[in-house]
Amino acid sequence: MFAIRIVLADDHTILRKGLRLLLERETDFKVVAEASHGKEAVDAVEREVPDVVIMDIAMPMMNGIEATKRVNETHPKTAVIILSVHSDEAYVLRALKAGARGYLLKDSAESDLIQAVRAVVAGKAYFSPAVSKILADDYVRQVREQGVEDPYDLLTARERELLQLIAELKATKEIAELLGLSPHTVDTHRGNLMQKLNIHSIPEVILYAVRRGVIS
Amino acid sequence: MTEEPKSTGKQTQRLLLIGFGGLLLLLAFSGFNALSVLGHIQTSNEQIREDYFNRDRILEALRSELYLSGTYVRDLLLEPDPARADSHRAELDSARVRLGILMNSYQTVLQANEQIPFERFRKEVTAYFDSLKPALEWTPSQRKELGYSFMQTSLLPRRATVVLLADQIARLNQDQMNSGNRQVQALFARFRTNLVLLLCVSLIVGVLLAYGSIRRILRLERLSALRFDEVVHARSALQDLSARLVEVQETERRALSRELHDEVGQGLSALLLAIGNAAAMISPNDNPEARVQLLDTRRLAEKTVAVVRDMCLLLRPSMLDDLGLVPALEWQAREVSRTEPIRVTVQAESALEELSDDYKTCIYRIVQEALRNATRHAKAKLVQVALTQDDKALRLTIKDDGKGFTPEREKGIGLLGMEERVKRLDGTFEVQSAPGTGTTINVVLPLAG
Repeated sequence: MFAIRIVLADDHTILRKGLRLLLERETDFKVVAEASHGKEAVDAVEREVPDVVIMDIAMPMMNGIEATKRVNETHPKTAVIILSVHSDEAYVLRALKAGARGYLLKDSAESDLIQAVRAVVAGKAYFSPAVSKILADDYVRQVREQGVEDPYDLLTARERELLQLIAELKATKEIAELLGLSPHTVDTHRGNLMQKLNIHSIPEVILYAVRRGVIS
Repeated sequence: MTEEPKSTGKQTQRLLLIGFGGLLLLLAFSGFNALSVLGHIQTSNEQIREDYFNRDRILEALRSELYLSGTYVRDLLLEPDPARADSHRAELDSARVRLGILMNSYQTVLQANEQIPFERFRKEVTAYFDSLKPALEWTPSQRKELGYSFMQTSLLPRRATVVLLADQIARLNQDQMNSGNRQVQALFARFRTNLVLLLCVSLIVGVLLAYGSIRRILRLERLSALRFDEVVHARSALQDLSARLVEVQETERRALSRELHDEVGQGLSALLLAIGNAAAMISPNDNPEARVQLLDTRRLAEKTVAVVRDMCLLLRPSMLDDLGLVPALEWQAREVSRTEPIRVTVQAESALEELSDDYKTCIYRIVQEALRNATRHAKAKLVQVALTQDDKALRLTIKDDGKGFTPEREKGIGLLGMEERVKRLDGTFEVQSAPGTGTTINVVLPLAG
């Protein structure tokens, strides 16, 4: 019996109760702990070592971003899904930089949460469709307004493949196997890719992929 | 309070007018008086001398006519020739007539104290000529016989008496002139006393006036310094008040935003979840109407969530607290670009995170207001926001390509609000704009420590 163990972190009891109800309708989901602030969430992860943490951003004591960073540092195998009211890319990027694998909007949690949990458990990234849409729209508008060339057009087919795989949170070794390349070659391709996109971190690559609609 | 300076001013005016006017009148009077008195003295002096010389001349003539008459009488008495004796007699007559005319003319300039001596003189002259009468009728032999003794005993003594009287009158005349001079001297002395008195009075009035004026000026100066202090104080109080206003507004907004977000927003999110949960419990075949009802309710709740979120962001963008200043500015730039036909770029160093909340809020609100102006009033196409930081200061520049305006004339409440926020942090605020050239706002906030 492979139950998916979940920690819920949100400072609003009613919301936690609703989320719990929603999650536990799935027979293989189990909410093992609830936390009302970031510190408590970090402690709960320490104690329970769950598969997934569902984390609100605005919480007292320690906010969700900081808590995500801690969890990611100490338990990289635990996937964090950020639950937020903000669909802005600043929040998404911040969440990704802190190590979150999923980003969900609170008002669409009811329809997306189950899917998100399953996706991150499977090692994929997950973004609320609403978030993806807003990010993609912003991207298109910015490219059009600034009249610059979309760097996506500069990418080779291999680099585009690589972009998708990186955004799906695949490890270098995994990517190498999938593409039939050596890890060293993958590193080289990734370097070129980031240089062409003029970005400097994996979270930014992921964000770019979402904005460009490569993943959703 | 407002009435006092006005009446003080009027009072001062009246006092100064009376004081200085009086003093000037006094001086003018002294001067005029001095001139007239001096003129008077000079005239009297001349008059006295003229009178004296006039009388002296007449007296001199009288004396010489008397001597002449004596000479004529002697000549007559000593003349043996009857024809020549007649001519001497005629000469004597004419001398007598001239004496009469001279005495009459002296009578007209006669002084009071000369009255009696002059009467005597007149009588003596008449007596003198009367005494001559018998001798004039003498024959040549009678004259030869009696002439000498008549001259010795009668004529010469009488003439001497008359001349003596004339001398006496001349002495009186001299006295008269001396007393005239004394009168002038007395007049002069009185004039000097008066002048000294007037000058003393002028001096005292002048000193009093100067003292009064100085006192009053000092009092007014003190009063105006007091007023000035009051104004300065009131201005600083006003500034404090408006600073407090900004602060209170910010605090209120934040509290309201947090309340809305935490209570209403989260409640609505929970409501959404509950509705979803409830909908999931009802199978589509079981009660389709209830399901439709629930889905409608959910849509309504979703809409409300969006409204509440927008309200929260408007009141106080949670990015400022959650993510920091630069992401919040970038978010705002994106939001404005999304909703308005305008492009907003933000250039900022990301090392700006360790700012205190006052600075973050100040910069954020200024950018917010500037973007509002750029879209609403300036109709700008591009706004460039640049934020840099060094050890000493935080520098913000917001530049648009809009219509521009004249900052000296059209400083709206928005710009004043910006300036107020900057002043509160001891910063400098500057607007550069002119119609047709766009607007640039420069803000420098000094960093403490």
